[in-house]
Amino acid sequence: MTSTTDWAARLERTSFIELDARARAAALLDDGAAYELCGPFDRIESPWLEPQGVVPQSDDGVVVVKGRLGGRPAVVIAIEQAFQGGGIGEVSGVKIATALSLAARDSRAGTTTAAVLLLETGGVRLQEANLGLATVAEVCSALLELRALAPVVGVIAGALGCFGGMSIAAGLCTKLIMTEEGRLGLDGPAVIESEAGVAEFDASDHPLIWSITGGRKRTRTGLADELVADDVATLRSAVIGAVAQGVPAEHRSQRIGELRAHIEAARPSEPPDLAAAGGPPMTRGRAWTQALADGGVNGGVPSVISADVTLGEDLARILTVVPDPHSPYHRARRGEVGLREGLALASEVTGTVAEDAHLPDERRRPIIALVDLPSQAYGRVEETFGIHQALAAAVDAYATARAAGHPVIVLIVGTALSGGLLAHGFQANQVLALDDPGVLIHAMHKEAAAKVTLRTVAELDELAGRILPLSYDVTDWARLGLCDELLTVENADVPTERDVGRAKDALTAAVARARRGPRDLSNRLDSPGARRTRTASRRVREALTAQWG
Amino acid sequence: MQTLTYEFPADRPPARRAHVGVVGSGDLEVLMTPANGAAHVRVRTSVDGFDTVWRTVLERFFARHPVAASFELNDFGATPGVVTLRLRQAIEEGRA
Repeated sequence: MTSTTDWAARLERTSFIELDARARAAALLDDGAAYELCGPFDRIESPWLEPQGVVPQSDDGVVVVKGRLGGRPAVVIAIEQAFQGGGIGEVSGVKIATALSLAARDSRAGTTTAAVLLLETGGVRLQEANLGLATVAEVCSALLELRALAPVVGVIAGALGCFGGMSIAAGLCTKLIMTEEGRLGLDGPAVIESEAGVAEFDASDHPLIWSITGGRKRTRTGLADELVADDVATLRSAVIGAVAQGVPAEHRSQRIGELRAHIEAARPSEPPDLAAAGGPPMTRGRAWTQALADGGVNGGVPSVISADVTLGEDLARILTVVPDPHSPYHRARRGEVGLREGLALASEVTGTVAEDAHLPDERRRPIIALVDLPSQAYGRVEETFGIHQALAAAVDAYATARAAGHPVIVLIVGTALSGGLLAHGFQANQVLALDDPGVLIHAMHKEAAAKVTLRTVAELDELAGRILPLSYDVTDWARLGLCDELLTVENADVPTERDVGRAKDALTAAVARARRGPRDLSNRLDSPGARRTRTASRRVREALTAQWG
Repeated sequence: MQTLTYEFPADRPPARRAHVGVVGSGDLEVLMTPANGAAHVRVRTSVDGFDTVWRTVLERFFARHPVAASFELNDFGATPGVVTLRLRQAIEEGRA
């Protein structure tokens, strides 16, 4: 029951939710020295919106303010929920990633600089699909870089909540603060309903939505740390408190055992209708893993297989997500990355890193993420148990392996969609894909993307023909500068001996490049393709670095 | 989306630049930068076909507030009332 004093407090408080992003950042930081970086008058807008008939915003919906929190150096990064649903595009994503990297640079140099992320976002901005997805991977990588040195505090105040790829970033945060109004989940209700039907998730049922993704539920089940009232002073003291606690010995996304225990405590119900699962399962992943493997193929769980392959002088570890028609998770039977798969990938990668910890950096085994997956698993059980946290564990493990000197290579042989690719592959320091019409890399299925952006599939196809990051074509995708090599093969479904040889050569070369190159994802902005198509990203990085001081 | 440009006589430059608003549903963003001699307005709006309404709203505003500046408006379907409100906020913020 609500007591009288609660009402008095409620009436006296100053709402944080009602503030826009800029006012939120100002409300949190200490008075005085705070200043905004890459603000509206720098006019670094998204270059992709106007050609699609969408009005851009001068700061692309992300506000970066540097200042102090309780006297400690900090940067607040606030996403504006009113602009394009807080969607992360090329400019907004690179603003976040660069600010986090710069805070890490200062922290390494002795000025520990914390970051606060105000997460109100639907995830990848679908009008910038593939570039949005790429920048979310870069945000996760930079967040992990900073998290080891200074606290990264996530705040989900509402009203929009934090969804899509950015929920994985939330899962990586040192501490997560939520209000009752805030929500956290990988797939938004409308997307699940669109992908899996109303029986799986009714997007109009608000009590259902909040009972699964709401701040109260997330803090109770340990997927967030602190539940606070929607009040400026309360939020500010919670954030300052979280920053003051510093860097913990272990982060939520590293506690794989705890997560697994949490998930295994439940028994996912048998699906009502298997026929509704739809579409053919992914078969290329297993075919290529078997073709490349020196010997047998193993798996801790049926849907994540591993094998060893000799690449020059290296023995590399291949990891592949494959369909498991008997999985108790009926939304993850066709090769999707679900709860089980996210944790299995995290365990496999973490295990490999632990086994090689005694070796010098340059002898650590290459890890190959082989990708043919329809997407992440869109389902109610998945959201209930926090699939974003399982995916965050996988992202954490891959990025940690990369930072420890393991060359991480992704080889895309088929479909690579959305959160599935973010969790399995997009933290790689080298990205390879087959040049084949069956290869599909994107942020969302066409039908769902059309629904979310209020367009028809035909309109989307027309736009994809002239707006590069919207294209579903793998050669267009490679032109974004995200791909280190496209491989031509004779048979992408059942690789021939020559195909296997080509792939091994390409992987060997990629391992050598990875060992020579940087261990963060900065090469994604420096590739020849990126120099042509990611000029906005490069401009953001340059301007933000210059203004950082 | 439509881009519209207008110019109105104005002789009072603001003390400093100002930014208000957001490109959200029913709202708009205004960037005001001091200029000389006139009010230069560029509107990018998500709603096509309201050229005349924009002209009327802006004409009325700058007749009352002859602020010599460049105004960049990024509009996401704001009503005339909201447009006037945001412009007034911008010039208030631009005062010394």
